[in-house]
Amino acid sequence: MSKEEKDARFEAELLPVLDPLYNFAYRLTLDEDDANDLVQETYLKAYRFFDYFEQGTNAKAWLFRILKNSFINEFRKKSKQPAKVDYSEVEGYYNTDDVEGESGVATTSDMRTQSVQDLIGDEVAGALNALPVDFRTVIILCDLEGFTYEEMAKILDIPIGTVRSRLHRARNSLKEKLEKYAKSMGYNS
Amino acid sequence: MESKFKEAVSGKSERCNDTDCEKVADLLNAVVDGEVTAEEQEFFNAHIEDCISCFESHDKQKLLKGLVSGHLKRIIVPESLALSIKAKIQETV
Ligand SMILES: [Zn+2]
Repeated sequence: MSKEEKDARFEAELLPVLDPLYNFAYRLTLDEDDANDLVQETYLKAYRFFDYFEQGTNAKAWLFRILKNSFINEFRKKSKQPAKVDYSEVEGYYNTDDVEGESGVATTSDMRTQSVQDLIGDEVAGALNALPVDFRTVIILCDLEGFTYEEMAKILDIPIGTVRSRLHRARNSLKEKLEKYAKSMGYNS
Repeated sequence: MESKFKEAVSGKSERCNDTDCEKVADLLNAVVDGEVTAEEQEFFNAHIEDCISCFESHDKQKLLKGLVSGHLKRIIVPESLALSIKAKIQETV
């Protein structure tokens, strides 16, 4: 295969994964420049090992695995510590008086407006970013990218049983962080 | 909405036994992720029909998953990224 053919095949098979891959990198590093570097590094590695990639197999899972390994082996050490999102700042939105009590119905209808949708997104992002990276990772892979437990086990190099237990603990943590928000929406536990 | 919810949580069915509730709790994640066997799903469905407390737990777990899948914003990939990847690859022998 000529270099031109290899490059064309590489781009056709692997570049469509750029969007989810960049999002994954961002959720790991919490920094756009770091995500940029991590994704570039991942594609360069993938290019070097492209001969080992079986055409037609799961390109997305393959790239996610490479990116995860790069993140753990090299990137985590050299990258600057990501700024922790101050969760209490976001919480403040829901602790105002008008979310409480009688106005419950109004709150529900407000939920349909775009600005409140954005607030929910910010709230979820804040809670997620506050989780340890291992917990964040399984939630992103499962809920955002829709990988199966088996694919997650391969991407993370852990047994499926560990995927299950890690996801269990991760969701419990996330639930805890979102509890205040959930209460303000009427989902009391 | 809130009072209805409290009522639902406190109303644990008499037909509910704790061993089954524990089994259902263990299955919650796998159920919302579509990772259960047909038998497990059947057992789960039958149980939550009778047990309001497990029914609510299932609802909450679906809500939690939905918050991430439905509300977390995707980050826009910088336009320059694909170009610089292509450029670096072309340089690589
Ligand atoms: Zn039950």
